[in-house]
Amino acid sequence: MTTLLYTHPACLEHDTGFGHPESPARLTAILNALRAAPFAALEWRDAPQATAEQLTRIHPPAYVERIFARVPRQGHFALDGDTILSPQSGEAALRAAGAVCAAVDTVLRREASNAFCAIRPPGHHAEPNQAMGFCLFGNAAIGAAHARAVHGLKRVAIIDFDVHHGNGTQAAVERDPGYLYISTHQAYIYPGTGHRGERGIGNIINIPLLAGSGSTDLRHVWRHEIEPALREFKPQLILISAGFDAHHMDPLAELNFSEDDYAWLTRRILEVAADHCAGQVVSILEGGYNLSALAASVAAHVKALMEAPARDHIP
Amino acid sequence: MYEFLKYEVRDAMTADPIAIGPNARLREVEEIFENHDFNGVPVVDDQRHLLGILTKFDLLKAFSLDAHALAPHYDTIMEQPAEAVMTRDPVSVEPRLPLSRLLQKLVEMRTKSLPVVENGLLIGIVARQDVLKALRRATIQHEIPLHQDSPS
Ligand SMILES: [Zn+2]
Repeated sequence: MTTLLYTHPACLEHDTGFGHPESPARLTAILNALRAAPFAALEWRDAPQATAEQLTRIHPPAYVERIFARVPRQGHFALDGDTILSPQSGEAALRAAGAVCAAVDTVLRREASNAFCAIRPPGHHAEPNQAMGFCLFGNAAIGAAHARAVHGLKRVAIIDFDVHHGNGTQAAVERDPGYLYISTHQAYIYPGTGHRGERGIGNIINIPLLAGSGSTDLRHVWRHEIEPALREFKPQLILISAGFDAHHMDPLAELNFSEDDYAWLTRRILEVAADHCAGQVVSILEGGYNLSALAASVAAHVKALMEAPARDHIP
Repeated sequence: MYEFLKYEVRDAMTADPIAIGPNARLREVEEIFENHDFNGVPVVDDQRHLLGILTKFDLLKAFSLDAHALAPHYDTIMEQPAEAVMTRDPVSVEPRLPLSRLLQKLVEMRTKSLPVVENGLLIGIVARQDVLKALRRATIQHEIPLHQDSPS
């Protein structure tokens, strides 16, 4: 079956200002890489806008209104030092969250095996009531809540391998046993959360890694922590918060993952998905700030999604 | 041969060194580093009481990744005052300290220079280079060559 690629031109119009690392050029680099011949079988889909109902499963309505009220008519508005709005940011944020919900719908309807959402702004730092760290709406959390509410799923797992801890996703799901959130991230950098002791109601697994950690460490924590927890949870859908800033060439961190590591990790996740949830995986772009490393890493990740093992069983 | 043991810090230090106030911007500090071959610059109050020392390492550290921002705000950091990033209560030496003792300190601390303080006031700065120069001075006249090169 097919792999879907959800994206939208509006995501290229979210302008964070001159020199900002979370730039439209990131998405351009990714989309260019995915236009190459090996990806001919990818099915491209335009992301719809998220609905107010979808957003407010995670964010209070007043928060959503506040974000849109701050979108400037021209120029920029800084929500904080990192998080910048431009005139098209509201539209881009709606398409980003909308992409995830649409991808969840399509995959759960079994019209495709899995999907990658090439979207920005990213989402995993956005807490229910606080935009931060380049993020406006919690795309992954919104997608997970959508799967629960609309498709009646009981257990949704979110695996976040961005180099930064997904404080927003964690805050959104930490009180609900229907979610399992697992994050690998570099310790002691932004946003400063994600300590091992933060366990939610037992549904949060934080795996901070020390600067310099790479392939071996990733394999170790997969084998000893991520895979056992994931299998025990028996997810009905797996979402991936796919940030590629743990790459060894990324300027904003000091982990040493490679393209091959991302391909390897993606295959491992797909194996678990094949065993537990008919391979149903929706992956969502988060960070990654070295353009060539980002493009190569996404390519490796999406290639692995396209080569997903056949479904073993339909739960 | 043991001339060096007679030297004191005051014989080798740079007297009345360039110093900055606690409110100097990092941008100005960087400019000092650009124009002088200093590794660190002392931070003093109006009376030249030593408050701290700001090294290139401190400056680099101010721009390193931490939990406060996803990407460091490079421009804003350049406008911070020296006192925000300087090393407080720095190790200092007295002018009468034997230079051999200073050498020992520089090696143990792996530091590149130390401020010289008398009665709490900054009076000099002494660096690796100053000690090396003193070593050369102390050994050059007394050196007994192993063999005489024949003039060509
Ligand atoms: Zn990140």
